[in-house]
This record gives sequence, C-alpha cells and structure tokens, in this order.
Amino acid sequence: MTKNFATKVFSIGFWLIVSAIFLLTLPLFLQASWVSLINEMLIMALAGTALNLMLGYGGMVSFGPAGLYAVGAYTTAILLTRYGLPFPLAVLAAPLAAAAVGLIVGWFCVRRSAVYFALLTLAFAQIIWTVIFEWYDFTGGDNGIVSIPIPELLYSITHVYYFSLAVVTVCLFLLWKIVHSPFGTTLQAIRENPMRAEFIAVHVRRYQLAVFVLSSFFLGVAGSLFCVFAGSVFPDYAHWVKSTDMLVVCLLGGIYHFAGPIVGSGVYILISKIISKNTTYWMFFLGIIVVILVLYMRNGLVGFAAEKLAQMKNRSEVKKNKDVP
Amino acid sequence: MTWEALAGQTLSGISVGMVLFLIAAGLSIIFGTLKVLNLAHGSLYMTGSFLCYGLTSLLSQIPGAYWWALLFAPILVAVLGGIIEIFLLRRIYDQEMLYQYILTFALILILGDACKFLFGVGYQTVAAPWPVNGKVFLWGLSFPVYNLFLIGCGLAVFLGLIVLMRYTALGRNVRAVTYNREMANALGINVPKVYTGVFMLGSYLAGLAGTLMPPMSVVALGSDMAVIIECFIIVVIGGLGSLPGAFLGAIILGLLNAFGIYIIPKLAVAFAFMLMIVVLIIRPWGLLGKPE
Repeated sequence: MTKNFATKVFSIGFWLIVSAIFLLTLPLFLQASWVSLINEMLIMALAGTALNLMLGYGGMVSFGPAGLYAVGAYTTAILLTRYGLPFPLAVLAAPLAAAAVGLIVGWFCVRRSAVYFALLTLAFAQIIWTVIFEWYDFTGGDNGIVSIPIPELLYSITHVYYFSLAVVTVCLFLLWKIVHSPFGTTLQAIRENPMRAEFIAVHVRRYQLAVFVLSSFFLGVAGSLFCVFAGSVFPDYAHWVKSTDMLVVCLLGGIYHFAGPIVGSGVYILISKIISKNTTYWMFFLGIIVVILVLYMRNGLVGFAAEKLAQMKNRSEVKKNKDVP
Repeated sequence: MTWEALAGQTLSGISVGMVLFLIAAGLSIIFGTLKVLNLAHGSLYMTGSFLCYGLTSLLSQIPGAYWWALLFAPILVAVLGGIIEIFLLRRIYDQEMLYQYILTFALILILGDACKFLFGVGYQTVAAPWPVNGKVFLWGLSFPVYNLFLIGCGLAVFLGLIVLMRYTALGRNVRAVTYNREMANALGINVPKVYTGVFMLGSYLAGLAGTLMPPMSVVALGSDMAVIIECFIIVVIGGLGSLPGAFLGAIILGLLNAFGIYIIPKLAVAFAFMLMIVVLIIRPWGLLGKPE
C-alpha cells in the first residue's frame, strides 16, 4: 500500500519536474510562434481551471466565464491606456475588478440553480459584452483598445512567456490549494448533494457565491495576462464563443480532475490551430469533436487516461496474486 | 413620436414578437416534456430561414415559390430535429445536465458551419410573396400586410397548439409524459416516441419561424445566437414550459425591442436582459409559469 502510494507520488512528481524543465527551457529551442502558442495554452489553462472550480468542483454550469475574463482584460487595458497607471498596479487591479463584478453577478446567479443559473450567467455575460461593445468613449466599442503601453521589458515574446508562466504557476498552485482545502471538500459535497450539505449546516449559497468570486478572480488574472500578451483587447473576449472555448477545454480534459483543463487547453489549442490552418469550417469539426466527447468520453482525456491506468494496475495486481500459490 | 410611428412600431414589435413566439414555444414545449434546454434551437431557426431562401431561389420559376418553401422548409427542419433526437439526445437523457448543454452547444457550431458551407456568408433576402405584399390603409395609417400576416400566423399557431395540447388524445399523451414519465410508460404510452414527436414539433415551429422571418428581415449567419438569447429571455419572463407564458413573453419582448430602440438605442438589448433578471429574482418561475 505504502509502496503504491509512493510510486503514485513519484510519478506525479516526475511528470511535474519533466514539464517544469520543458516549460522553463522551451524558449531556448522553439520558434517564437510556438512560444506564443504555448503562452496562449498557459493562459487558457488558467482560465479553464478557474472555470472548472465552479464547473467540476462546484457543479455549477456557467455559460458566462468570458464576461469576467473580459473584465480582467479591459481593466488592465483601460488603466494602462487611459489612466497611465504603473504596470504592476494595472495587472493587480484586473483580478480585483473581476472579483468585484463576480460578486455582483454571482449574488444574483447563486439564488437559482441548474438551468436558471446557467441562463443567468449567460445573460450577465451578454450584458458585459453589450456594455463593452456600445460604450465607445470608454472601451473603444468594437474597435477595441490597441497598442496598449506594455513596459518595454515585456516586448519580447520570451519575456512575456516567462511572465505568464510565473503568474499561471502561482495561480494554479493557489487553485490546487483551494481545491484540496476543507473549503474545496465542502464544495464537492455541495456538488454531490446540495440538500444534504444544507442538512449538515453548510451555507450552500454562501459557498457558491464564494466560489463564484474566486473563479472570477482567477478568470480576471487570465484576462489580464492575455491583454499583456496580445497588447490589445477586443469585445470578442466577452463573446459567448470564448465561453464555449473555456467550457470545451474543461470537458476535453475532464472536469473531475484538477489537471483536466490544463491538458484540455494544450490539446484544444493545438487542434484548433491545426484545423483552422486547413479549413475555414473549423467550428464544424470542433462541434463534431465535442459530440464525440459527450457521447463516448464524458470524463475527458485525463479521466480516460486515469481509468485506463487504474485498469492496468488492477490487472497487474490480479496477475501478482495469481502468481502467489 | 407621431401616431403613425407609434402604430408602426407597435405593429412591427408585435409581428417580430410573433415569430419569436414560434421559436420560444418550441423551446418551451421541448423543455417541458424532455427537460432538455435545447441551445441549438436558434440554429434550427436559422437552418429554416436558409432553407426558405434556398427553396425560393431553387423554385423561382414556379409561381408561388415562397408558399412551397413555407410548406416544405419547416418539414425538413422537423426531420432534422428527429434525427438529432434519435441519434444524439436520446443517448444522454440519463446523464447530468451539463452534457445536454454541451451537446446542444456543439450542434450550434455544426449547424452554423453547415449553413455557411451550403449557403455562403452573404446576406440573402426573400421578397414578400403575393397576396401578402404591399400595404394596407386603416384609419388613415398605412401598415405592411406582411406584418399583419405574421400576427395572424402567430395567433393561429398559438390557438392550434393550445387545442392540440388540451383537447386531443395526442396532447393528453404528451401531458401525461410531461407530468410523470415513469407512470406514463407503465400505462403503455410509448415514451421515446413521444419524446421524438415533441422534439420534431418544436423543430417544426423553429423551422416555421425561420421560413416566415426572411421577407421581413434578412437571412444571415449569426441569427442563430441572436434568436436563441431572445428566446431564453422570453421563456424566462413567461415561464419555462408554459405556452401562454411564451406568448406573453414574446409580445413583451417584441414591444420592448421596438420601443427601446426609440428611447435609448444603445441599451435596447440590455433592457430585455434587465427585465429577465428582475423576473428571475422576483418570480423565478416566470409570469405565467407554476412554481416547482
């Protein structure tokens, strides 16, 4: 038993070290276009994990993560361009603004569950999109905000990459801590059975609001990172298509595993780049992929792999037991 | 605002509301019976409008091409709906709701790109067909006949659906399945067949709306998402699963859109969302819905 546990830890630790070495050294041997692709994956991994805090751990289906993501991106963009705030402040303000908006939106949304919760999140995301799209004087409307004054240090893609890597790593670590804290466990209890959770004196709504705000906070970080990376922001960031991207990332990787959205993000962005290079109808193929996922691989890539691993382990153990006379 | 403008806005608001009612009614019936929120309902509408355009241009040599399209396009959409229900939705009824959302979301992507592939990215128009083109003069004001025709269609479908649901054997079966699926099954009602039938009926209504709309507006990509969001607002305001609710919600939304544009053009869209949020907070089951 202890040995099994040790091998498991070893394997997770082993993979963490391998990926850390790869991520830390990759700008040395990869082309700039690949580095920016991986940068995109990192940001999407953070956004996906933030959404999954609600989706996988809280069991709350949100259709509007892109709205909060856009709040983060626009906060950084507007503070830098219009008010000329120092860069660190502008970046730090983004998650706070997103969390504040998340608090207001979440306060309304957690009053209803299931279908109504999903519809409310969609409605609020559309409102955010409309505000961004129509408020020309402040947000630039559909022209977006371009040539945002990013510090010179972050002009090169390598530096932006390391900046994103550092921030994403810290955030993922925090999310990991949240998920594995008593708070995270309570959250999963609520997902499994809200009524029973209420019976053991858990304030379900308060927990759901808390997770909504936390999720918004990290979505804001992701949005701000994307703003720094792209150097511009557009209303598209708040569009429902972006929300779909995030949902698909979670589903592709598997919503019941912490690593799900991270793996999902890498695979999804790679696939979408390959498909969209070859055809203009890539939404069609994306749709087909999602249908196949829903029908045949509901636990996503990570869930699928974990299942297969468990089966293999079982089989080898059965074999071992047979060998013993 | 002059009297003429006021009357014109009211009429166009209600007639757009009627088209939205057809879609929202389908959405609502499907949700009521299957407990599936069909996010791809707007895509069925868009498919219907592209089929209308395709059929009218295909049959342009034949007199009354539009009327043939009006006959066949919704049927094609209903068949498409049947295929979707039998091959996709049926497999995930016993799964968590999340998967229904994601699956129907995927259908939005697939149908959207399929329309793009088959009909191109341009804006298409369909002329209002003869007897219902032109204008009619009433009390010294002029109204487009097509708007009146739409209102007539909406009312007819509304009454037809109510009669179908309340006074026919078919409607009784559907209500039985809606009320208690297991019990209906035990009493010998073929539940999967009812599910397919209801989904096809909902799809037919979406297709019908898609065919009726083009002479009043344009056929374009992206209408799927615009329409589905408006339908969500309608069914939430009126009450998910309630037909009269969908009717009331559609008229409210149609008028709100028509006059919102006059008052604060930029926030016209936000008005509807705000109304929806207010309803959800005060009366979450909708104006004419029943609390669970």
